[in-house]
Amino acid sequence: MEIRSERWDQRHLITLTGRFDAHETPRFRELLADLLANGSGLSVDIDLSAVHFIDSSALAELLRAARAATDVGATLVLLNPSDPVRVIFELTALDQAFSIRYAPTVPDTPGFTG
Amino acid sequence: MNNSAYEAYRAWATHEITVPPVVSVVIPAYNEEERIIPTIGAIATYMSSRGEPWELIVADDGSTDSTVSLLQNMRLANMRVLVAARNGGKGSAVRRGVMAARGSVVLFADADQSTPIEQFDRLYRKIVVEGYDIVVASRSATGAVVAGKSRLRKMLSAGLQALVRIGGGLAISDTQCGFKLFTATAAKRLFALQVIDGFSFDLEVLYLAQKNRMNIAEVPVEWIDAPGSTVNPVSVTLQFLREMFKVRMNSARGRYMQHNHLGAGAGPAPSVSVSVGEH
Repeated sequence: MEIRSERWDQRHLITLTGRFDAHETPRFRELLADLLANGSGLSVDIDLSAVHFIDSSALAELLRAARAATDVGATLVLLNPSDPVRVIFELTALDQAFSIRYAPTVPDTPGFTG
Repeated sequence: MNNSAYEAYRAWATHEITVPPVVSVVIPAYNEEERIIPTIGAIATYMSSRGEPWELIVADDGSTDSTVSLLQNMRLANMRVLVAARNGGKGSAVRRGVMAARGSVVLFADADQSTPIEQFDRLYRKIVVEGYDIVVASRSATGAVVAGKSRLRKMLSAGLQALVRIGGGLAISDTQCGFKLFTATAAKRLFALQVIDGFSFDLEVLYLAQKNRMNIAEVPVEWIDAPGSTVNPVSVTLQFLREMFKVRMNSARGRYMQHNHLGAGAGPAPSVSVSVGEH
């Protein structure tokens, strides 16, 4: 899985591409831990539009990330889950547990940097 | 946002098909409470997006965890759950699923999505366009991409497949990949003959297919090791070797003819055809 992280002021956009499974969760966890170390007021968007499969380990990791964000006063939103990921969220009832938004991924504010 | 695959899935999930399915997908499941739902989500989304009527059959193998209740609570209109009272082995679960299938073609797929479902159509074309009876996903054929497999498992797999070619007389590079597509006729015929209930049923099925002069194609696939398998590779290897020997003994003793409920052996094609690759 490819992980791309971009930042603009207090906003972070993490774009995931490929298969999000137990092989990939350690890298994702490390990235989120770094981001949330000083996370108060942060807004973290995770773009899932190019994730074609997500397994139970990765679902648990996303839940952990959402709770960690809440704990430090940050917000975490899942953006544009692909159709299979959307279905997996529904089948596991996690669509109720996450904040999910269907929207353009890149802020149109000038100055967004990678 | 393009909702077409999602909407196709919703229609499949909520409305029972009124025509015979073109494709039956059979997933064997033993204590898969942690892996089965994402796999069903991925398979259901992709297969529904294809536009052809299809059904999903999950053949439980006597699970002792919450696999069965999870599946039953999903209430998917075109999914059947075949519950087994006790653990009979992967081969027995796949056999029950195949025998219950109503599709023109039958896909057997493992519960861990290690062979991504998006590769289905590459196998399907081999049947509908080129007329093969069986198409086997291969992790060994030229062009295959294998990720996450440990060195031990790679070594054991390579050794086993060499033994299969030499000792088993099978001209197939990967007999054990859990992603195989059959015409319904071939599937019903082969699973009526086969007797092995364990992991080596694939080997037996392919041996019988070759013996019955069916046309078999291999297609290289992308395969990703799915963490969470409770299978011990060494014990599975030893079991495989025992069962390979058992297949040869069964054949020598004529046991497969005794189990020939569907007329196997009548009118075989003149030669075995094994094709590897995309061609």
